[in-house]
Amino acid sequence: MGLDFTGIVVVAGNYGSGKTETAINLAVACRRTGMAVNIADLDLVNPYFRTREARIPLEAMGIQVILPDRQYMFADLPILAPAVADIIRQPSDLTILDAGGDDVGVTVLGALASVLQNRPVRMLQVINAFRPFTGDVAGCIKIKQEIETSAKLNVTGLVSNANLMDETSARHIHQGYDLVKSVADHAQVPLEFITASPGILTESDLAHFSCPVLPIDRKLLFPWKRA
Amino acid sequence: MAKVLMKGNEAIGEAAIRAGCKNYFAYPITPQSEVAEYLVKRLPEEGGVFLQGESEVAVGYMIFGAAGAGERVMTTSSSPGISLMSEAISYIAAAQCPAVFVNIVRGGPGLGGILPSQGDYFQATKGGGHGDYHLLVMAPDGVQEAVEMTMQAFTLAEKYRGPVMIMGDGLIGQMMEPVEFPDDLKTEPTNKDDWATSGMDFRKSKKRNLVKSLFLDPTALNDNNLALKAKYEQMKKEEVQFELYNGDTDYQILITSYGTMSRVCRTAIDMLKEEGIEVAMLRPKTLFPFPEKAVFEAACKDSCKAVISIEMSMGQMVEDVERCVKGRRPVEFYGECGGDIPSPEKIIDIIKGLL
Repeated sequence: MGLDFTGIVVVAGNYGSGKTETAINLAVACRRTGMAVNIADLDLVNPYFRTREARIPLEAMGIQVILPDRQYMFADLPILAPAVADIIRQPSDLTILDAGGDDVGVTVLGALASVLQNRPVRMLQVINAFRPFTGDVAGCIKIKQEIETSAKLNVTGLVSNANLMDETSARHIHQGYDLVKSVADHAQVPLEFITASPGILTESDLAHFSCPVLPIDRKLLFPWKRA
Repeated sequence: MAKVLMKGNEAIGEAAIRAGCKNYFAYPITPQSEVAEYLVKRLPEEGGVFLQGESEVAVGYMIFGAAGAGERVMTTSSSPGISLMSEAISYIAAAQCPAVFVNIVRGGPGLGGILPSQGDYFQATKGGGHGDYHLLVMAPDGVQEAVEMTMQAFTLAEKYRGPVMIMGDGLIGQMMEPVEFPDDLKTEPTNKDDWATSGMDFRKSKKRNLVKSLFLDPTALNDNNLALKAKYEQMKKEEVQFELYNGDTDYQILITSYGTMSRVCRTAIDMLKEEGIEVAMLRPKTLFPFPEKAVFEAACKDSCKAVISIEMSMGQMVEDVERCVKGRRPVEFYGECGGDIPSPEKIIDIIKGLL
């Protein structure tokens, strides 16, 4: 089972679900297979821990990163780089749009509605079962509907990004998988993939999952973590 | 309850709910707006109220009103917002009302920037508003501690009938960590009937309560200030909290640091230990009352050659450290406060420069 993503992929989800880590790692995994990949930071909501902080390692891999102008990197302003519309018009093999959290975070997609129109767009909803408000099926469905209304796009697939950061164990990943599988059944959309840091899952764990596993290498580290 | 992954700001909001706070008034400002975003969803589920004031000045007095009525009340803001509330904080301190203020500090002065800073140490510990008052100030170094301190803050505010502040730099509010919530706070203040203007129908006592900060009679004003002073002296005896890290070694250098900065220093100390260099850190958890005796004793250990205060400011807590060390050891300072947090490697270089 491999990841199969081409064209425009919007990564959405509730606030703090791990959209940016998922988007970055998806970009890296696809780039490693030789695809041309670009990623745009559409997160106008979150003040810290955004795609922009991982710019240098991504560019070193040949991934094009679309960010607001450097001088506005730490501005608390809703800036959408004009280049975003350009990459939607002429997408790479894979163009990832890293949206902000909740329904508010995807409102920006409304501003891009005219360029997104009539293009095949997939929108992933990232779910971390251990975050507030998405610990059960009803909570995840509620967020899904809010995101769809606000983005004027349908969620086409789900991602389980179950984690408690450094304290994540295989049990948590199974728990998240089970939840998102139920959400997928309920909402009639596929569970596209789950995420896991390398080394957590055993072969028998992997055999249990009916979808691919995206390895997560955390790019947005705390300043006290050793480099 | 099992662990959940929360942002510091969200966790502070949930902690307030679990402490029985039903009143939250605030005005949005980065990097703390997630507290309001969280509580706007959660408070109505608990029968509570979130009201956004028209400014932080208004919020300050909404807090004063609710506190005067004997309600558990909290606001959260960031640096410039706290400046605007400082007048009300002074009034609340004078009128002896319990209230919890959270400052998720951003870079200053002025509008500064939205990245983390500890530049409000003076504001938090030395006043901010006018007159002879203090806030009891607690500084968490992570999300779990932010939860515990927020819950404690309500108890302490009621014990001392005064404003208590949680001071976290921006990263404390923004970062996510796994967190576990302690049992809900069950205690109610026992003396509320004696001072709260909760309405005669709701009180056992028939005493007429008056919430005020105006004392025109010089004797009465002096008495009120003496009463405040007595509370601050009691805090110094009973409420000091700190952590001494790597303190059981023959450390050559003592770092003083708090909040996010102390997490970086902790990593630097671990790395230096691998090189055979022992360094300790005294981390104040209460900034007021300051761990005066602990700083003095840790600095005076025979093996300790020097003390260095490492802060995300241009040198604020270092003044308290110097005061406590009383000239017995040299006191150095290192700080950055643009928003970039110094790396463990940077701290190691600074420490090696002192050896």
